[in-house]
Amino acid sequence: MSDLFKINITYSQSHLIMPRIILGVLMILAVVIFIQEYLKARKAKKPFMNIKQWRFFAKDYDKVKLFGSIGLLFAYIVLLNLIGFIAGSIIIASLFNILYAEKKDKKSIAICIGISIIETMVLWFIFGYIFEITLP
Amino acid sequence: MNFMIEFGVIQLLVALLGVVIGIIFGALPGMTATMAIAIFLPLTYAYDLSTSLYLLLGLYVGGISGGLIPAILINIPGTPSSITTGFDGHPMAKRGEAVRALRIGITASLIGGLISLTVLAFFTPVLAKLAIQFSAVEKFLIILFAMTVIAALSRGNMTKGIFAGFLGVFISLMGVFPDNQKLRLIPSLLTTELRDGFQLLPVLIGLFAFSQMFSEAELGMRQMLMKDNVLLDGKETRKFSFKDFKGQIINLFRSGLIGTFIGVLPGVGGSAASLMSYSQCKAWSKHPEKLGTGEVEGLVASETANNGLTGGALVPLLSLGIPGDSTTAVLIGAFMLQGVQVGPLFITQNPDIWNTVLFGLLLSNILMFAVMFWPIKFLANIIKIPMSKLYPAVVLMSVVGAFSTRNGNMTDVVTLIVFGIVGYLFSKIGLPATTFLIGFILGRDLEKYFIDSLKGSGGDLSVFFSRPIGLGIWALIVGFLIYAFLDNRRAHREKLA
Repeated sequence: MSDLFKINITYSQSHLIMPRIILGVLMILAVVIFIQEYLKARKAKKPFMNIKQWRFFAKDYDKVKLFGSIGLLFAYIVLLNLIGFIAGSIIIASLFNILYAEKKDKKSIAICIGISIIETMVLWFIFGYIFEITLP
Repeated sequence: MNFMIEFGVIQLLVALLGVVIGIIFGALPGMTATMAIAIFLPLTYAYDLSTSLYLLLGLYVGGISGGLIPAILINIPGTPSSITTGFDGHPMAKRGEAVRALRIGITASLIGGLISLTVLAFFTPVLAKLAIQFSAVEKFLIILFAMTVIAALSRGNMTKGIFAGFLGVFISLMGVFPDNQKLRLIPSLLTTELRDGFQLLPVLIGLFAFSQMFSEAELGMRQMLMKDNVLLDGKETRKFSFKDFKGQIINLFRSGLIGTFIGVLPGVGGSAASLMSYSQCKAWSKHPEKLGTGEVEGLVASETANNGLTGGALVPLLSLGIPGDSTTAVLIGAFMLQGVQVGPLFITQNPDIWNTVLFGLLLSNILMFAVMFWPIKFLANIIKIPMSKLYPAVVLMSVVGAFSTRNGNMTDVVTLIVFGIVGYLFSKIGLPATTFLIGFILGRDLEKYFIDSLKGSGGDLSVFFSRPIGLGIWALIVGFLIYAFLDNRRAHREKLA
């Protein structure tokens, strides 16, 4: 019985003790959540795991803005590596501004690009120049 | 005691900047105080800790206070913590008392902030003194306790709350284990990039800035103005006067203390503080039926409580090293970045920083009042700022922040984006990001104290039940679990009814 309350600590294996325990706890919790959801569905007399009616995104969600944002972020990393902080940031910030703008005529696009240039330069000045923080 | 604090023109300006930016973020629905602190954290690299604390505390107080503007004017809380402010504030605004309601809210916020500051100043040293006696066993148990409380108070969502917390712990364990320098939980392709695991700063900026941005993008980045809004061009039917607070003294103290107390409990957000304070106000009111129709009482209860939260949430952070809410979880990042250990020894080892925290909080509250009270008519225009124009700047600041975490490492920028997506997915499946973050922050300590305790006892688990303080903490853990279980059932029943 007393062995049950003992954990052998071997130096070379000690890095695995905690991850194993936590993984165990997570698995138990996952099972509990699964059962809870099942019981909830049964009580509400709805089919369990209702995939057909389950909606991940909000109704009429803005596909362009959502996936555009994620795409632009990854594009930003590529651009930072290729052309550096100032040019990369101006391009990406402009695209973000245009993506989120309600109107997309010539004038508002010009405003978006203007804002982005100012934003980038201000950031570069404050972070890079005054505070000497390493910029990408 | 040493009362030296660093204070001069720079510190004053930095605090003012923090308060103003905080108010803007707080006042814009779709942006939060937590987000403001997260994206401004990298600036702490440039300053020393005490100067950056002025900025961060300013952001914190400003962010919590700014939420009352849209709550009163357009009936949409700017931050979750002003959720009940609109209940009475908005009807007042519709009656033509918008400025009066705003000024009452601002004054109540100041008083709430001061009450919580007093509690912070007196309570933290006491708690820290108790915690100094903790061995590794108690330190392990107190983290376990914090995680139980977090879960216990995620009402109706307890299991998912615990799950998110442990998931955070699991993710924090990735990388090298310092005791034997061995790698774990890292795919072999990424051994160099993730040797030290994920960095705190990109993880938290991702969770609190990017995930919110994705959610807003999904909804089309639309400004939530329009419907039913009261802007300040109409005629004022009744002006503010400090006499409005006549008969509110008990309400002020009760609400301020409720807010502070809720703040002390780890993991409970500002919305819980204002909701609980509002319901207590209703229970004690002489005419509860009038609440919700534009009563000063309700407005005062809500705004005093949410600013009461600020000082309260710092109590467990500075005495035990455990963050009280999502915003203080971000603040802990600032201390970690500067290599200052928050915990039982914090006050004795860093008396100057401790005094800076107290003074910074006092200053931020006063500045918040000065910046908001008189120019409120002008300030109310904040809610017209389009967030679609602010988010691109948030993106740039976040990337700069993440990149500078380890002086220029692209892995951290990737981490930022990945955790932005993770946070967005969490919000979809109902896992609380705050709980995850707290688990992530405390995970390594949890492991260290666990292994240290076991090393001391030769692997005997009964060591966790051997000391009286430890047993006391166990009693608290079990007590909270029972409370949580009963509260969860009640929440479910209320939902069904």
